Amino acid sequence: MDFYWGLVQIIGVHSLLGLSAYIVVLTGQVSLAQAGFYAIGAYAAGMLTVIREWHIVPALAVGALLAGAVACAVGFPALRVKGLMLVIATLAFGEGIRLFFFNFDYQVAKGAIRVGPLGGEGFRQIRYFPEHGWSTFQVMLFIWAFVALVMAALWWFDRSRYGAVLRAVGEDELAAQSVGVNLTAVKVSAMAVGGAIAGLAGGLYAHYTTHIEHASFNILLATFAIAYPIVGGLASVFGTVAAVIFVQGFLVEGLRFLGDWRNLLFGALIVLAMNLRPYGFLDSRALTGLGRLLRRKAADA
Amino acid sequence: MLDLLQAAADGVLFGATYSLIGIGFTLVFGVMQKLNLAYAAASIGGAYAGLLILHVLRGAPASAVFFCAFLAGGVLGYVVYVTCFHVLPLSHPLASLMATVGMLLLIDEVIVHTTAGMPQNYPALFEDVMLPLGSLTVRGDLLLVFGVSVLGMIALLLLLYRSRLGLATRAVAQQPVAAQLCGIRVARVNAMTFVITGLLGGLAGAMIGASVGTLSPLISTPLTTKGLIVTVIGGLGSIPGAILAGLLVGGLENVFQLYRGVTERDLYVMLLLFAFLVVRPGGLFAPSGGRR
Amino acid sequence: MLELREVARHFGGVRALDGLDLDVKQGEIVGLIGPNGSGKSTTVNLVAGVSPLSAGAIRFRGEDLAPYPVHRRLQLGIARTFQNIRLFGQLTVWQNLWVAQNSPTDHARRPFLRRWLGGQSGVRDEIARLLEFSGLAQRQNELAANLAFGEQRRLELGRALATRPSLLLLDEPAAGMNAEEIGQLRDRILRLREEGVTIVLVEHVMQLVMGVTDRIAVLNFGQKIAEGTPAEIQRDPVVKKAYLGGE
Repeated sequence: MDFYWGLVQIIGVHSLLGLSAYIVVLTGQVSLAQAGFYAIGAYAAGMLTVIREWHIVPALAVGALLAGAVACAVGFPALRVKGLMLVIATLAFGEGIRLFFFNFDYQVAKGAIRVGPLGGEGFRQIRYFPEHGWSTFQVMLFIWAFVALVMAALWWFDRSRYGAVLRAVGEDELAAQSVGVNLTAVKVSAMAVGGAIAGLAGGLYAHYTTHIEHASFNILLATFAIAYPIVGGLASVFGTVAAVIFVQGFLVEGLRFLGDWRNLLFGALIVLAMNLRPYGFLDSRALTGLGRLLRRKAADA
Repeated sequence: MLDLLQAAADGVLFGATYSLIGIGFTLVFGVMQKLNLAYAAASIGGAYAGLLILHVLRGAPASAVFFCAFLAGGVLGYVVYVTCFHVLPLSHPLASLMATVGMLLLIDEVIVHTTAGMPQNYPALFEDVMLPLGSLTVRGDLLLVFGVSVLGMIALLLLLYRSRLGLATRAVAQQPVAAQLCGIRVARVNAMTFVITGLLGGLAGAMIGASVGTLSPLISTPLTTKGLIVTVIGGLGSIPGAILAGLLVGGLENVFQLYRGVTERDLYVMLLLFAFLVVRPGGLFAPSGGRR
Repeated sequence: MLELREVARHFGGVRALDGLDLDVKQGEIVGLIGPNGSGKSTTVNLVAGVSPLSAGAIRFRGEDLAPYPVHRRLQLGIARTFQNIRLFGQLTVWQNLWVAQNSPTDHARRPFLRRWLGGQSGVRDEIARLLEFSGLAQRQNELAANLAFGEQRRLELGRALATRPSLLLLDEPAAGMNAEEIGQLRDRILRLREEGVTIVLVEHVMQLVMGVTDRIAVLNFGQKIAEGTPAEIQRDPVVKKAYLGGE
């Protein structure tokens, strides 16, 4: 049973990662830097609970705020770079963060052992959950409480004017400017919020996995992060989460029986999925169709 | 000082391969306004495929392997085109991008599977040759890598500027709709662009294998990143930019390695990119005219 | 209200606009006509702030517009429509109008957080008014991309009005319209004038320009070649030569 809770944990954290990319991609900025903000949140939160012995919630909060601040800083130069150049720039930034942590040492003695990040070795012994007697089930619930919170917040954003403005910017920057939208404010704020959510996800990741290293925060993870909202469709937050469940639940776990072949199928399935449904699983057409279906069911009942 | 010059010289010679990879990214971007993230992986894949000839003809010369890699790269380029760009609606660039990522993963995994994850030895030419140049030494194999890469670039430039296909390609890059109205089959030009960049990529992959001595699937990720950095520094869409930037990155990378070691080297290459993005986001050469 | 002095815009070797002087007084409807490539759309882009000036100055209510980026010019009261419609296709008609609620009165009335995060309640009446003006009340929940062409044009105009401009730049709003639609557009423009909006109308469709403007300026090759009332322009041989060529 623990194994399944573990899987649900992974789905939860990746949902947060996907949602962090969702809000950024809505504004038309394709960011491959989310894995970098995720890493910042992971190391920061980990260091606070391990070295400074903080409670997990403020540690996660600080991790998220730090990641959000860095994302805000990245957001400004990102404005100067358009379209595919931004993809490359954010990819390079994410790699840069990874390389930074590859070279990052900060160890403190705690009793007999030394704890803290150690360059290529990574950051071991992030044992907040086991030390405080949390069961796998409780950790899973904790993670999903945050997922529910973030989903609700983003769902509410989508319904607010901010959400419509985000999408307008994503669709046509010139038109948005011409009706008075401040592009800088919108794009940088989206980047900052996305960064904060990624940082939160990273903090949670560091604690349930207890050992993080630079190699986990690679281009593959960055790609997963934006794959979720793209594959799931940008029409709603549910699409992103559905994509996470599909990729992590079905592809990664469900195909585990295929052993080594699973990785092969991965790439092939992404190519297939993109060719079959270029606008994502739950694109606006699918959503309106779904909506009509549900309304008809309600009318029939 | 001498060490610095030597490192720089070696790096610049090797950097010609980065130039080829950069050209591949930049040409596809220039013609189709799209990014093919699978390019570096396909280049390495081509290099691996070049090794297949050794199974068929034991003791085949290194040049045969290189030639095979060259051809295989072209084939892989076409495959990537068909799976990621032919069918997908051009109006949804994100879908193509994701599809190329899928191909990147697929190619890497195929390599891992067929080689059981073991690095493969790659034939080299002139690895024992050392040509003295003043107080510097020019490695024979690096000179070959440089020479072959330059030949590839020259061939590409001749193709682009002296042939009908090249003319059609440049037309499509500047005004795809008008080109179509002039009777140019845009789909065919796009496919050919992928084949040609694929050929160059296979060659680059072979050259990288030849100078390093081994091939491993782990190369494709850092190569993708470096290729993209070269493309950005050179200016998206500019071939001379990619050539210059490739040599620049190759040289500087080696110099960074000399002073700060292998682990920090890539971090400095990244910082170079950021410096460019802040100071000159258009790159060394902004693309000439063309569409906005 | 609006002054253009020796305004020029060149890029590459092209002189899109070459020393244009133009005055628009408050409450006027000024037409800007000329053959293709004469610089009409360039003028709109310069006043809107989309393109930078190569020379000259543009003043609005006495103030130089140069330091104001596009979205801030809106705050000053300048709005524009696009020649090739630029609606937010994936948003509904209602949302298109909602996104445009950026006027200074709007900002003054609703505090920052409510403006950004608030739901639809505060602006319901205003948007209803705009829908009614544009004749799109029935279609408010339709995606903009699914609208008929005429409806899209009306939405484009309605969205520009959502920002409560005092100066409205219309870039070929009648292109592709049939006679009935042009008549409706004419009525809407006149209604706007009654409400106090100053209008600059860039247009090719002569029946609209001649029928609704107070004054017309004619451009050719980036320069103003004539200016006067519609009647004067129609008689002007220089104008005829520019459009029809030769004697």
